[in-house]
Amino acid sequence: MPLAQTATTVPVVVNDDLCIADKGCTVCVDVCPLDVLRIVEKDNGKKTAYMKYDECWYCMPCEADCPTDAVTVNLPYLLK
Amino acid sequence: MTAVDQLFEDFDDIADLAEGLDDPSPGARIMAVIELADTADPAAIPFIARAITDDDAGVRKQAAQALTDFDGVETAAALVSALDDDDPAVIDAAARSLTELKDPKSGGAILPHLSAANDVKLRACLAGIKELRRVEAMGPAIAALQHVSAEVREQAVGVIGWLQDESALPALRDAAKDADVKVRRTALSALGFSKSDHAEATLVNALADPEWMVREAAAETLAKTGGASCIAALRGVLGDEYWQVRLKAVRSLGKLRATEAAMEIGPMMDVPVPNLRKECAAALGELAVPETAQFLEKYADDRDPDVRKNVRWALEKLAA
Repeated sequence: MPLAQTATTVPVVVNDDLCIADKGCTVCVDVCPLDVLRIVEKDNGKKTAYMKYDECWYCMPCEADCPTDAVTVNLPYLLK
Repeated sequence: MTAVDQLFEDFDDIADLAEGLDDPSPGARIMAVIELADTADPAAIPFIARAITDDDAGVRKQAAQALTDFDGVETAAALVSALDDDDPAVIDAAARSLTELKDPKSGGAILPHLSAANDVKLRACLAGIKELRRVEAMGPAIAALQHVSAEVREQAVGVIGWLQDESALPALRDAAKDADVKVRRTALSALGFSKSDHAEATLVNALADPEWMVREAAAETLAKTGGASCIAALRGVLGDEYWQVRLKAVRSLGKLRATEAAMEIGPMMDVPVPNLRKECAAALGELAVPETAQFLEKYADDRDPDVRKNVRWALEKLAA
């Protein structure tokens, strides 16, 4: 059985279609207390927020403060 | 420009930022609202107030949220207008921002809407005017006590409670008999400002309410009125079936220095509810009746650290 060497999912998922990082928004990056979110330019030239470091504390301000509801934090089952 | 001025960035760019409100993209307009709010300059209010009528619901919601950082009549007027929005998220944000107003003058924009037919709008307006303490709100608030919605009645009681006017006591006494538990609870807590016998009688009656949350509020508030009949009434609920009610009664008796209740509170140390034991120990310390030491000594090494701390403090008070 092959071993998974890299994480393929992270808890903070950003809907690129809704994200307005392109317009200069950095709300989620600014509010994250662990500073794990970043803005990246995609292949099509549009910018979007994404989770660069997988160190989430599930504190939720990124999801709550996103002006377009583009951020979803997937809480692990045991935290619910 | 002096040398000192050059050290600081020039923030007179409200008009530049406001240009973003005309951008065809809703995302850019949202950013313009956020940036305008970040200036914290009251000159941005008219522009954010304009954004609250934007075509895009996301922009309107952001504008309603952004106005939380501002105060004054213009802010209040814009927020009240947003309460008629079609999008529940916008209404919710506006209602929340309304409760953050601090300048009593901003109440001027809310007062004309205190008889709104729309429940959600009326509730938000009452909640907004509450902390502004405008005396003109008393009449509409008393009228709203007859409203069919319990949430509206609860906010109306809050308005009356914040105004702290003895003339409103009959209205609060009626609200203390409301069909809804939360309304009764809020009304009883609101009675705390009054030292009158009527307020105290209402609170004492409420100790027999069928709902424990109402009895709890009454037991807590009786410590504030502090009249002659309080202590006997509070001793009466020391055997309440809910420990939450007993806890507030014990706390109130401690505050009222009811030393005659000490020998009843003492045996309650044996109750297997740490929250209650903690409160009993604190009250016994405040009452400082030497005969109660026997009840406390057993628990000087209680498993709960809060109980231990209070018991040891109380024993020191008794020894002093």
